[in-house]
Amino acid sequence: MSSNPAAVRRLGRFAVRAVLVLGGVVSLLPFLWMATAATHSTADLFHSPPPLLPGGQLLDNLARLQESIGFGRVLFNSLGIAVVHTAVSSLVSAMCGYGLAKYRFRGRGVLLAAVLATMMIPFQVLLVPLFQMMASLGWIDSYQAVILPFLANSFGILLMRQAFVGFTDELIESARIDGCGELRTFYRVVLPCVRPQLGALVTFTFTAAWNSFIWPLLMLNTEDKYTVPVALNTLTGLSRVDYSGLMLGSLLATLPLMALFLLFQRQFVAGLLSGAVKG
Amino acid sequence: MTAVNTHERSVAPACAPGTVRRPRRRGHLSGWIFAGPAAALFALFFAYPLGASLLQSFTTEDAGAVHWVGLDQYQRMLHDPAFIQSLLNTGLILVVQVPVMIGLALVLAALLNQSWLRFRGTWRALHFLPAVTTLVAYAVVFQVLLKTDNGLVNQILGAVGISPVDWLNDPTWARISLILTLTWRWTGYNAVILLAGLQSIGKEQYEAAALDGAGTFTTYTRVILPQLRPVILFCAVTSTIGTLQLFDENYVLTRGGPDNATLTPVVYLYKVGFQQFDFGYAAAIAWVVVALIAAISALQYLAFGRERRR
Amino acid sequence: MGGAGGADGDPRKLGDDEDDSGRRGAKKLTGKITVWSWDVAAAALKRLGRTFQERNPGVTVDVVDIGYDNAYDKITVGLRGGTGLADILTIEGSYLPQYTANFPSAIYDVANLGGRYGGDFARAAWRTVTGRTGGEQVFGIPWDIGPCALYYRTDHFRAGGVDPTSLQTWDDYVRAGVRIKKATGHKLLVHDPTDSGIFPMLLQQQGQSSFLGGRIALETPAAVQALTLMKRLAEEELVDYEKNWDGLVTATKEGKVSTTPIAAWWSGTLTDEMPELSGKFRVVPLPGFTADGVRTSNIGGSTLCIPTQSEHPELAWQFIRFVLTDKDNQVSMLKREGLFPAYLPALEDGYLSEKQEYFGGQRANAVFTRLAQNIPPVEYTKDDAKEKDIVISTVNGVMLHGKDPRAALASAARQLAEATGRKRVAVAP
Repeated sequence: MSSNPAAVRRLGRFAVRAVLVLGGVVSLLPFLWMATAATHSTADLFHSPPPLLPGGQLLDNLARLQESIGFGRVLFNSLGIAVVHTAVSSLVSAMCGYGLAKYRFRGRGVLLAAVLATMMIPFQVLLVPLFQMMASLGWIDSYQAVILPFLANSFGILLMRQAFVGFTDELIESARIDGCGELRTFYRVVLPCVRPQLGALVTFTFTAAWNSFIWPLLMLNTEDKYTVPVALNTLTGLSRVDYSGLMLGSLLATLPLMALFLLFQRQFVAGLLSGAVKG
Repeated sequence: MTAVNTHERSVAPACAPGTVRRPRRRGHLSGWIFAGPAAALFALFFAYPLGASLLQSFTTEDAGAVHWVGLDQYQRMLHDPAFIQSLLNTGLILVVQVPVMIGLALVLAALLNQSWLRFRGTWRALHFLPAVTTLVAYAVVFQVLLKTDNGLVNQILGAVGISPVDWLNDPTWARISLILTLTWRWTGYNAVILLAGLQSIGKEQYEAAALDGAGTFTTYTRVILPQLRPVILFCAVTSTIGTLQLFDENYVLTRGGPDNATLTPVVYLYKVGFQQFDFGYAAAIAWVVVALIAAISALQYLAFGRERRR
Repeated sequence: MGGAGGADGDPRKLGDDEDDSGRRGAKKLTGKITVWSWDVAAAALKRLGRTFQERNPGVTVDVVDIGYDNAYDKITVGLRGGTGLADILTIEGSYLPQYTANFPSAIYDVANLGGRYGGDFARAAWRTVTGRTGGEQVFGIPWDIGPCALYYRTDHFRAGGVDPTSLQTWDDYVRAGVRIKKATGHKLLVHDPTDSGIFPMLLQQQGQSSFLGGRIALETPAAVQALTLMKRLAEEELVDYEKNWDGLVTATKEGKVSTTPIAAWWSGTLTDEMPELSGKFRVVPLPGFTADGVRTSNIGGSTLCIPTQSEHPELAWQFIRFVLTDKDNQVSMLKREGLFPAYLPALEDGYLSEKQEYFGGQRANAVFTRLAQNIPPVEYTKDDAKEKDIVISTVNGVMLHGKDPRAALASAARQLAEATGRKRVAVAP
């Protein structure tokens, strides 16, 4: 059998699929449970063992979620914040990564140290001083306070620097000979070449902004301005927890992320890049 | 080692492999054009908080009055069994969980990179799913799945004749649960980064290897892996940082318990600062975490990086 | 100073030394206040806020549900940052002393305005807002209270042949548990191995917390008795170990345990999450440590207070007074949101002596009403967070690993003394 390359390949492909199926089941299992929980009343979830088959409370739960936390509204808020955050932050990170990878300039070392330091410091100790800053700017309960401080994203900068470090200089030079300015070169020539990493960056940035919890909780003091995680947090009370509402809300909250991921999939596929450059 | 750094791409001649790896020494201005926005944001929003927390680590407070205590807060850590326990727990995760997760992520990325695979997009999305769970869902779901009595995992184990495991209440099992759930959540995430790296490697690299008669496995280990090295290192360093800053998962799952078995430095500093209002000590712990991250990341670069001088 | 109750701070007072209540009618209220709360408490304040607005045109009351789970993070950051807080905060009585001690002058002392209500509130609840000052300082007004009793399953008791009214002491309770378990296989109560369980409740029943007069009181006879009882329950295998809130609810719903010693608010959980068990539960006072001992304790209970950052403290005070020192409003919160009032005049309302269908026609609220007046006050300190961690591991060391209660408590007292610099209460050997 090993002498038959086709058979070996079939076996190999079968093995690959088997591993993917196994991994997929493990990845999916908790979501299946969430989906099940979202269709039951909270009281039913307290049975032991908890129900494994879908129940009939989905619409009731949805209506309650809308009534108790205005789910549609907070979904819209989250979407706006995450889109703005992702667009600006990805651009800033990509530019900074490029600058660090491709230029020597005075202060580069200090900047790199600052990037690393903000990445290394546990975020929790920065909360109080950062909060004080926002308060003295009069920004408490505003979206700029939620978005602005975290636009410069160390992880993103390093990810993009990583992508640019090995990037060929001849291409940049030739663009420059063609008369492109620095910024134009960057947008037209350089960025399209790192699409896979850019796709990853956008996905990660959006996910982080979307799921961000403690900072928006500290900043926002109006229920109408809440984001999804902050609003879902109010479903947990002192002596009662709306588990089915929580599960439904969390499940619905992952849908936009999945949509985004599928959208940016394209970016991960190198084949699509052919001819896309230097148009 | 020439291959280490070049993210060659085959597809477009415009993105052809290059040889120059040094940042060009051009005017300072050009560099700042690109780095400026990020630098301004850092200076505006992080200079003060970073400085304030560093200063705070040399102080103590009693009912609102602040006293300068020099290095006392740092010395306290040496004799603080809870802090030492938190370091040991972190060490265990670093040594066991991070390598396993990155290994799995590599395999996953390689599988997802197979060109013959149909529905690749769906497969990728499926494996990325855990990384997008909200924390509150993560907490509730795993509390329920890992329940000792009638939890879904124990029910599945029971079906194959394994007696129930006390997943979250026994110190050893709690550590294992944390490692498993961390791996569940972050493997797909790292696989996506590695996949982006794999996609940057030109098709003819694979083809050239195939012409040499190398099998798929050999192609990966001999040709692809060495080129992926910087990306692997990137994953290793960011995972290390994530581990040393671990807070979310063990806080929501076990609050650092039982008996501090899943306590990490950041959960500890959160308790010290936000529950015991000992902000000076919390800041000192934070800066020790920074020092540890810097040291370990530097070691990783030295050991595996071999990144060319820029 | 040990530092309990904010004694070493310099709190800011709200109101003149002369009580201003007479002027209220004269002065027209205007302005906007924000209130932070959570869960049903927020719902109650939103409802009463609307009434308050109607009665006082020109006033806006903005109630924000900040969720319970991370409410204290938000409050701590605001107190620590010196800005950004609401005009009125909901803070649990057991947390308030930590804040007033660690952030002196951050929360208004309303003794001049609210001091005169002291006699109207259950003593245990009033103690949480006054600390050790005995009423000289009043950092807020108590809202609800959690008088404790024993919820039990009538069917389990009947099957075990145990008369619930015969449970006079905790010894009786253990014996009953053994009989019920023999007859039915059900355990007696739930314990969360990540928590200190009924230990603080048992301490308060005997009139103390882990501290007495600012000293560590973990080696007192009361503490040793409490932990010895818990060890006996574990040794007799009467304990069902369940983690977290959902573990307790699930175990109760599944009928795994025959009793739950817990506060009055548990009734709300029973009716919401296990309506199918209607008629199965009744309530009796807690067993005592002696036959004539105290038969209740307290779990939970919140307060409303005003941070000194507030720009409208007078209006905030008027709203607190409207919500918490008004019998009708307090009764409405009991009826509609299930908040058991610490305000004694509200406990006289007829609603509390009605028969309750869920409890098979028993007048369960009447039991709690009677008990609420007798809850022993205990002291909370700024070191309660440190205390909690140590007590949790001590309690579970005894229950799960069979350590000796007396030795374990002595060791806990030593650790706590080291962590806080406090002295230990002297105990006769």
